[in-house]
Amino acid sequence: MRFENWRDEELIRQAIADEIAAAEHRLEGLEKRVMKALATRDPSRSPWRRWLRSLIAPRSPALRLGYALAGALLFLGLGLLIGRFAFAPEPLPALAQEGTVFALAAPGAHKVEVVGDFSAWKPIPLADPDGDGVWTLILKLPPGRYEYAFLVDGRWVGQDPNADEYVRTMGDYTSVRYIGGDST
Amino acid sequence: MGGVGELELIQRSLEGDLEAWGEIVVRYKRMVFGAALAVLRNWADAEDATQEAFIRAYEKLHYYDLSRKFSTWLLTVTINVAKNMLRKRRPDPEPRTFHTDDPATVVEREELRNAVKQAVWSLPESYRLPLVLYYWEGLSVEEIARAMRLKPATVKTRLFRGRALVKSKLLEMGVTVDAV
Repeated sequence: MRFENWRDEELIRQAIADEIAAAEHRLEGLEKRVMKALATRDPSRSPWRRWLRSLIAPRSPALRLGYALAGALLFLGLGLLIGRFAFAPEPLPALAQEGTVFALAAPGAHKVEVVGDFSAWKPIPLADPDGDGVWTLILKLPPGRYEYAFLVDGRWVGQDPNADEYVRTMGDYTSVRYIGGDST
Repeated sequence: MGGVGELELIQRSLEGDLEAWGEIVVRYKRMVFGAALAVLRNWADAEDATQEAFIRAYEKLHYYDLSRKFSTWLLTVTINVAKNMLRKRRPDPEPRTFHTDDPATVVEREELRNAVKQAVWSLPESYRLPLVLYYWEGLSVEEIARAMRLKPATVKTRLFRGRALVKSKLLEMGVTVDAV
């Protein structure tokens, strides 16, 4: 089996459409079911909702203060927990002193990352140790053609001035670099 | 009611006209079902989520800002409903297996189509949903970002990564993929 033309995204579109179309018979008469459900619902009369509302917005000042303290403690605890587990460093592609240089002038930026097919589009951070606004990263990449873009404070920057060419995909640009056997 | 404009239907729905809301359901049920299925991957659950999303949207319609695109707001409601259902339903079930009855006799194209289907629908939800919204719903990156409450750059990254994952899954299945 051979995926003849990866750039032809029709197969992905088709894969999604096929699955949705196969299940569409389930939508027959949905409007009538929704209208019937709405006609029999009166949320304001539900005792459960009244109880929930009193729990969410209590009238007692002491209970409100208790909620505020519990919320603050929960927030602090969760923050510590997330910081401990979620931001553990992930292994990244091998860094090297010699390799392909990714550099971008982004003075004033707080975070600059590169995403590309070499990292399966996972962000890799660039660094600006001397604070001159030029962010750099050196990656040792095998020879080939690579598509990538920068993320500057979470904003997509698809046109790298150092790129060999640009391609327009999904409504925006990505940069392309060709890495030869002995090139950087 | 087919010729009535969307805005008029929404305004009539706000006044409690259930017939008008029924017409909204007719117009958007495929879109809502597609998004729900992208999150839940299960026909019955997606059907329930679709019904619940329209009920929830009707009840919250007074929060809808008329200057925003209605379909994007409706998708945001749908995604919230579907994700809530997903959380209650843990663990996420395996996707349906797509296969043909007699692999020996099927044409290669059909086999490839099933492989792509398998690869797309077995992606993690965070990649599957943007792909469905982009390729099937036809939303722009900015619209997906609004519906999913993400930055546009995050959506782009997920779209690229989703495609990369489809490609690697196809390779795992023995499908030869031309280099990008």
